[in-house]
Amino acid sequence: MSKSVNPANPCSELLTGNEAVALGALRAGVKVVTGYPGTPSTGALASLLRMDLDDGRHVEWSINEKVAFEIAAGAAWAGQRALCTMKMSGLNVAYDSLISIAYSGCIGGLVIYVADDPGVSAGMAEQDSRGFARMSDLPMLEPASVAEAYRLVQVAFELSERAGTPVFVRLVTGIAQSKAAVELVQPNPPAPFPMREGGGSPPRFGEGSGERSEAKLVRDITKFTKAGSAICMAQHRDLIARLEKAGQVIREMGLNRLRLSPPQPPPTGGERGGGLGIIASGVMASYLEEGFEIAAQFGFERDAVSMLRMVATNPFPAAEVQALLRHCNAILVLEELEPYIERCVYIEAHRLGFEGRIVGKLDGLFSRIGECGVSHVVRGIGAALNLPIPDDLFRGSDTAEQLAAQRPITVCAGCPHRGTFMAINQAIRRLKYKKDEVMVTGDIGCTILGMNPPFHTVWSEVAMGASLGMAQGYVHGGVETPVIATIGDSTFFHAGIPGLVNAIQHQVPLTLIIMDNGWTSMTGMQVNPGTDEPFQQPGDRRVDIAKIIPALGVEHFFIIDPFDLDESAATIQKALTLPGVKVVLSRQECAIQAQRRGLKAGKVKVVPENCNLCNLCIIRTGCPAISIGEDAVVIDPNLCYGCGLCAQVCNREAIESVT
Amino acid sequence: MSHATRNTQHVLRLTYDIYLVGVGGQGVLTIGELVAEAAHRRGVPVNFYPTKGMAQRGGFVKARIRLGREMAGPNIPEKGADLVIAMEVSEALKAVRFIKPGGDFVLFGHVWAPTAVMLGKADYPTLDRVQEQVQEAEGRMYYLAPESLPLYEGAPVPANIFVLGAATGHTGLGDILVPSEVAHVVQTRWKRGVERNRSAFQAGLNAFTGS
Repeated sequence: MSKSVNPANPCSELLTGNEAVALGALRAGVKVVTGYPGTPSTGALASLLRMDLDDGRHVEWSINEKVAFEIAAGAAWAGQRALCTMKMSGLNVAYDSLISIAYSGCIGGLVIYVADDPGVSAGMAEQDSRGFARMSDLPMLEPASVAEAYRLVQVAFELSERAGTPVFVRLVTGIAQSKAAVELVQPNPPAPFPMREGGGSPPRFGEGSGERSEAKLVRDITKFTKAGSAICMAQHRDLIARLEKAGQVIREMGLNRLRLSPPQPPPTGGERGGGLGIIASGVMASYLEEGFEIAAQFGFERDAVSMLRMVATNPFPAAEVQALLRHCNAILVLEELEPYIERCVYIEAHRLGFEGRIVGKLDGLFSRIGECGVSHVVRGIGAALNLPIPDDLFRGSDTAEQLAAQRPITVCAGCPHRGTFMAINQAIRRLKYKKDEVMVTGDIGCTILGMNPPFHTVWSEVAMGASLGMAQGYVHGGVETPVIATIGDSTFFHAGIPGLVNAIQHQVPLTLIIMDNGWTSMTGMQVNPGTDEPFQQPGDRRVDIAKIIPALGVEHFFIIDPFDLDESAATIQKALTLPGVKVVLSRQECAIQAQRRGLKAGKVKVVPENCNLCNLCIIRTGCPAISIGEDAVVIDPNLCYGCGLCAQVCNREAIESVT
Repeated sequence: MSHATRNTQHVLRLTYDIYLVGVGGQGVLTIGELVAEAAHRRGVPVNFYPTKGMAQRGGFVKARIRLGREMAGPNIPEKGADLVIAMEVSEALKAVRFIKPGGDFVLFGHVWAPTAVMLGKADYPTLDRVQEQVQEAEGRMYYLAPESLPLYEGAPVPANIFVLGAATGHTGLGDILVPSEVAHVVQTRWKRGVERNRSAFQAGLNAFTGS
């Protein structure tokens, strides 16, 4: 990790929120860290891998979030501290195991770091993970800043062990990917949780003895199995009790900070005193100071306001909220995405017979969609106190943006997926189908870029591995033209294999095209099971997709080189006409990764005298390395990877491969 | 066309917000990294929020830098940026709604045409149009023509460092950060190209003079 140090304060380092989570876990003496890459959470585990830790900790990118979480939970059941990292979509994958493990609780501290993406910087459902914390009755901490993320991850481990429950730490993109100063303390070595038989009190963080002891095995079928209703219902009771216990620990720790305004003058005109109470959670708390400064210009008095800074959003701090409701005559709830807190505030308000206003999303002021900011603080205060905040205070003109050129993202220069998309399109053309007659389901990762121009190959994007299930549905639904499923290598490992096995078992006529570039690329080139052995972690080995497919009994299995357009198109064309499940494995390494090692696929050059600027090379490939010059197209030698696809589509020999 | 004189009316302020836009590959996020580092070394609180993901793919890239706040939310509100740095003409339009009336708008006039524009199938905004929009939003335009990029040993210097130099030398950024300290960060960030980067930054500091 790059270091930026303030000379006056050498312990203060600029870190991303992700790095702060990672270093906070190290400080807490974490032993096992697992995860699956996903924007905006990737940087946490990635930063630990970059550190090449050799102090007895285990850090890995796992095959998917469910497996990752099970590994972390197993370590925590063995008494160790464990961290599992994922984006919000990954939580959906992990959830089956997660809710079961929630029922069992944990021994060593178990922390799930999940990063939500309000405002959708990375293209997925804008889901709010707080709903999952509610459903599984697990505590959730929501840092408001990078520095707080560092501290709260450590608190989360302590809370986890004191209450015996897995604990969520939730960041949003704005904190996970922000860089800010953090005061760092030396990390602690991994140290397992002392077994409770002796009745010893749990350790507090920062008090690690530094002595590493062995993992412990605990046999307790009433805790660690789900055999029978008696066990499961007892666990349900324990789960609820643990969340309550977590609530007590959170109160002892003073995580949720309530500050009531000084007593107001006796109410006049029949109105209650106490003024406005603001509840702010997560990133919204970081905008309060700024919002107060701005609102002050419109008559807002900050001393008259009561505040509940909600850091632990689950369990819901009902006592603090009730105190606020008793004191105030209006409540403003500031939270991003779903009105989870606000709904609970309504319940407490009902219990207390609160008659004041509750300002937030449920009264229609704020949207459930997108990132929030300081404007929400100011507008909320304005609405609650009837301050004359001008409508256009934070509203810039959006006409400028509408004049901007569209910039659809495409695959990088040299990307092997380009060749695969072109080959699929060519195969469809050669079979005399129109493009809108052949369904090509898509999947998560760089392979989805086939939906964009110039390819327009891929039709759909659902969830990891979903291309396979969706394709089978189209077949059973009665589509008689060929059905193609496309998927990347990491996505295939993650959740594609069950879909393929299902298709094979039920003999569904479809063609699966696996675009294997050897890396989990969209999230920044992480290692996956199929990555070449030299790039695996020391002691790890590669799992070759080319050996998996035949072992599953696929009769029609082809391997193509996406840089050989004609051959690839002919192979796909053939596959589309064969019966049953066909698998085409399209293989070339991610060009970005290869070029980082100084590799090029080849070399091409323009023959200007042959070029008539028909632009076919640009129209077909959309390659960012090619532009239109004076008399001929121009290829940027720095961007060009030499894949040669442009030379293969040129029909005037104006681009040639140089050997 | 461009305001060549430094805004001497600028008062020393405690907070300073910068909105950065451009295209992946232009080094937009590097500008943010350098500013964040210079601020941190000076003890100025900073929150640098880049939007990553498309950096290598020729996609829209943006970043927000908030200087001087102990507790800084990552986002800058519309009409809230003291400074906009835009590295590409069309992408500059996406920053217009964030410029504070009276704020500084540094535009590097590079045109990175999307494929559809290159093929004549889509429109691309003219520079005049962009300047008009910035003016309407009451931004003070500092325009840097791509041709003004100086050469170092025969090759153009890195545009992002040049633009950072220009912003440091001619906008309020130079009041909250010290130009010589930013220059130091630029020169110590990378082992290679120290002189090239130094000259790029210096040329930026000297931009607008004599024009």
